[in-house]
Amino acid sequence: MGMSFNPPYPAGTVIKGKWRGNRYVVQRVLGKGANGTVYLVQREGRREQYALKIGNDTLELQSEINMLTSLQSCKMRSEHRSRREMPLSSYLLESDDFGDTGNIPFYVMRYVEGRPLHHFLAKRGASWLGLIGMKLLEELNKLHVCGFVFGDLKPENVMVSDYGHAELIDYGGASPLGRSVKQFTEWHDRGFWNAGSRVGDESYDLFSFAVLCLRLLNEAGLKAAAGQLPQTRNVDELLKLARNLPDKQLGAWLCVALKGGFAGSAQAAKVWKEQIYSKRQQRMETMATPAWLKGAFALSLFVLVFTLYWVFF
Amino acid sequence: MKQILLITDGCSNVGESPVLAAGYAWREGIAVNVIGVVDEGTIGELGSREIADIAKAGGGLSRIVGTPQLAQTVQMLTRKTVVQTIQQAVNKEVHKILGESSLTQLPPEQRSQMVSVVDELTETSPLRVALLIDASASMKPKLAAVEDAVRDLALSLEARKGRSEIAVFHFPGRSGGEDAQLDLDFTGQIGQVRSLFPKLKMRGATPTGPAIFRVIEAFKGSGSTDEPRALLTGKEHDDREGMIGGYVV
Repeated sequence: MGMSFNPPYPAGTVIKGKWRGNRYVVQRVLGKGANGTVYLVQREGRREQYALKIGNDTLELQSEINMLTSLQSCKMRSEHRSRREMPLSSYLLESDDFGDTGNIPFYVMRYVEGRPLHHFLAKRGASWLGLIGMKLLEELNKLHVCGFVFGDLKPENVMVSDYGHAELIDYGGASPLGRSVKQFTEWHDRGFWNAGSRVGDESYDLFSFAVLCLRLLNEAGLKAAAGQLPQTRNVDELLKLARNLPDKQLGAWLCVALKGGFAGSAQAAKVWKEQIYSKRQQRMETMATPAWLKGAFALSLFVLVFTLYWVFF
Repeated sequence: MKQILLITDGCSNVGESPVLAAGYAWREGIAVNVIGVVDEGTIGELGSREIADIAKAGGGLSRIVGTPQLAQTVQMLTRKTVVQTIQQAVNKEVHKILGESSLTQLPPEQRSQMVSVVDELTETSPLRVALLIDASASMKPKLAAVEDAVRDLALSLEARKGRSEIAVFHFPGRSGGEDAQLDLDFTGQIGQVRSLFPKLKMRGATPTGPAIFRVIEAFKGSGSTDEPRALLTGKEHDDREGMIGGYVV
């Protein structure tokens, strides 16, 4: 316990591990979560940047480290099996303690550069949702296959690079499948909407994912629905929002997710791929010809006819 | 594990000291959490000190929050206190076995194992929570938020793997002589708390201390004790408990 509400460490602070001896230099604060503060750091004497999380509470942080460790080993096994030549995307690089008394816990992870999903979409437009959603559903599925649920899925916990590469950050809310979800955010919580239990199952993450989409596409509508009395707050309100989206196929997908209708995240990802992600190319093919292009075409035809007439007659 | 969760908006003004009552509860193995709930303005220095003192004497945690944060706070405090209770028990064992003072000083591998045990027990050990709701007149406008918070707590407890039970009391009681009135006796059918609050009648005085004593009696009356030590040795639940659960007074 204790240790919470400390002011953040200033840039230049050196964090030296008690057990493993590695030294990290603080560059700036990346964010504050429920269980601690995340800093951008550099390994002393090296160029690479990492994200380093300092916990408020030894127990909570250790619990998170345990979860990341088993996730890591599960991921390594599956990557080994599929023999894919990809850089090991580490959730967890190392964990250690520091401080004068040596009992402030921290852990180091890969630094994911980018901006939170809601900022990204506000800037780039909703047309990116098909691609980003695809990646997120694949990430969730990987997590589920390893026996965990993410729990606290919301736009703030999704980092998107400038090129639309999305990653989940902050696994503090993750818990083993079948256990109670210990960290969640009102709007994204299935229980909040009277739409089911708070037991962490695959549908729980898919429900949060659906609310995330609604929030990105119609935040005002979601806010109005959430503002109702707890007794009358209802998943039907969310279904209505989903059906009213201009993209009907996305709306239909969201309705299934909100009702817990997918067998799991693998199926949900498959359907997303078929009906939302792949639809983009079709739309390109059937895209309406702009009026100016038709005009230009007509004009060039006319010029051609005129030229032919002029040449031959 | 046993907990009292007191939700109030100010100072007690009748009967024994609630801090003393909380001390008694803690001695009986019941942790006391307190949430001070404010609408506008603050709870006042006297009120906030009393809230902090009750929790300290009761071995629990306290927070002062506005109605929008109430549900989240109730859920969080209950969970934290469960973790804390188990952690204290585990720390005692760690001290006995390894001679280290606490979990935070253990080397990473051992700590990781201990925390797995704590996590497991947090999820699976039986838990009984008595909600004690201040129903004095000033609480009336906050009652919808309290109801939402109780519903939310029920959801979180239902999701646990271990057996969870809830009882609800409000104070002051219906007649002048009653310190706290039982609204729902300990029940594993947590869904019942949802149909509870239309019955509450708001009254003037705030006998917080006597109300806590009333709840301690209720814990004693309903049998089994799940001391943290017993959790570690896997002591089974008293059979009596299953039988008395599940009726609304």
